[in-house]
Amino acid sequence: MKVRVKPAVAMPAAAILLGAAAVVWAAVPLVHHGLATLALLVAIVFVTGGALRQALSWIPLPEDAFLLPGPVRAWTGFLQFLRMPPWEEIAAADLVWLEVQHFSRPWHTALLGLVLMAYLLAVHLAESRARVSSLRPLSLALGTGLVLLAAAAGFAMLPAFAPGPGAAWLRVLAALAVLAAAALALPRS
Amino acid sequence: MSHNEGGHTAAATELRLQWRLSRHARRLLTLGLAAALAATLARRPEFTGIAAIALLPLAAGRISRPAAMTVRVRPSSRRVFEGEQVAISASCSGADGWSVRWTLVPGDGLNNAGPTFRDGDSVRLLAAAEHWGRRRMGAVEVTLRDRWRLFEGHAEHVLPTVDCYPHPAAQRTRVVLSRLPNRLGEHVARTPGEGTEFAGVRDYVPGDRQRSINWAASTRRGRLQVNMFAGERSQDVVLVVDATSDVGEPGTSALDLALRGAAAAAHAYLDARDRVGVIAYQWGGVAWRPPGLGKRQVYRIIDTMLSASPYASDGGEVARGGSFRRMPRAALPPGSLVVVFSPLLDQRFIETLRELRERGFTILVIDVLNATPPSRPRLADKLARRLWTMEQEAIRFSLRELGVPVTHWDGTQPLDLPLAGYSRRPLVPLGGRR
Repeated sequence: MKVRVKPAVAMPAAAILLGAAAVVWAAVPLVHHGLATLALLVAIVFVTGGALRQALSWIPLPEDAFLLPGPVRAWTGFLQFLRMPPWEEIAAADLVWLEVQHFSRPWHTALLGLVLMAYLLAVHLAESRARVSSLRPLSLALGTGLVLLAAAAGFAMLPAFAPGPGAAWLRVLAALAVLAAAALALPRS
Repeated sequence: MSHNEGGHTAAATELRLQWRLSRHARRLLTLGLAAALAATLARRPEFTGIAAIALLPLAAGRISRPAAMTVRVRPSSRRVFEGEQVAISASCSGADGWSVRWTLVPGDGLNNAGPTFRDGDSVRLLAAAEHWGRRRMGAVEVTLRDRWRLFEGHAEHVLPTVDCYPHPAAQRTRVVLSRLPNRLGEHVARTPGEGTEFAGVRDYVPGDRQRSINWAASTRRGRLQVNMFAGERSQDVVLVVDATSDVGEPGTSALDLALRGAAAAAHAYLDARDRVGVIAYQWGGVAWRPPGLGKRQVYRIIDTMLSASPYASDGGEVARGGSFRRMPRAALPPGSLVVVFSPLLDQRFIETLRELRERGFTILVIDVLNATPPSRPRLADKLARRLWTMEQEAIRFSLRELGVPVTHWDGTQPLDLPLAGYSRRPLVPLGGRR
């Protein structure tokens, strides 16, 4: 029997799963130097917070909680707190930071980028209750971004022209220049 | 952002839009900047790929954005009764190619009666007023979004105030005075007149109409007899609402019942072509409306009561420092029936009633007190409660002794029930000057 999941449930569930996948992908293999453990903890907390916000977003908040009993007031306060912080932004930035803690592994970073982008798009679709087809106008930009993501990973795998930090800087600057050129070349709507 | 007090007609208003990044765009920007920073600091070019996939959609979404838009917002009514809904019709122009979201932010005392927001160029939002009062309807927030949902333009249109009238109680019967002013109406008077109610027969005198001769009585008595009919008169009714004390549970408090009862009485007496006025009495002043006729008088009366109530947002037309002694003659016509809705808790108000009685007015008090002090096990509390009960009984007894009938109304039953003892026959004033 074919089970159909409602879009209102499917997209938040997809966002939660993608968030969890991004955390796991950025964490393995576990590293214990620097602030990696803290970054992992922060990522888990903020991805969980975002997931809770998504899961409980359908519950309306009362306008005035002054006359409500204590437990209901605490629950309302918890819901209000869940809706305040930018969970996904902090989680995404933190996962990038966690990935930096690992040694260079370009294909792994590229896949993390892909999962993070999918996570943010799923969060957006779940929040706005829009269909996946609403992303169609962005297909050119997303496609170009994917090509650049793959190119950046391949570029990082190439050996440096010369030893030392100067060559590494030049590689990064070259990649950023390609990104800027692509942004300027994209047609405006 | 412009704020406009919209009227009943849908006047076009130009709203200035404030543009900012959407949450989705902010997330993409954060990821892109974090990845670019990581690439620069860690000197790892693979992170620029993450920055590319996050930032390129933002670069693609750059289009010219309108600085302002024209909206038309019109509430279906500025007057509603408790529990009724107000439909707010909203439409806009100058937003072609953008998706428009309208969000209703109801004011205090109003709730959303439908979805909080609606999408489209022309929408209808619903708000419901739960409790009487003069209230601000709130505002309609307009959000313009591009098709990538990366940029949002925000504007706000402030809605006008709405008068939420108390839901009138049920009242079909009326208290009628035994002595009515010489003015045509629908109440049967004791004096003969040109009405339809048969009042007796009398001897024929030249000038009587031939059609009024009662032939059966004339045959029996052996001389011509003519029918007499009772006159039909109207009366002046002044409703007095005591807004000095508001005790009891919200929704069924003394003031709630007073206003609902007064609204019901206004309806009932105006339906009988009586002239009805109102005096709303509160701390530091009174507001009044002289007796008048017609359906519109109901709304004028309720407006007066709302302006005097403590929930009036604008203060209303309250004569601060006024009292019954300074009341203009038009507010209390001689010989009028005074129907008072009060919890009888304010000693000053009770003194005022006594004074009115001494001035010869026929007064009927409807007691709307349905709350008692909380019962606690402490002896002092019990004694205080007993003293309070005795004091209340003494107040009501003293009024009855003055010839002021006091009847209790609990707010749930129709007003006809507590008034049954006074509406079956004309109310004859006891004692006092006439």
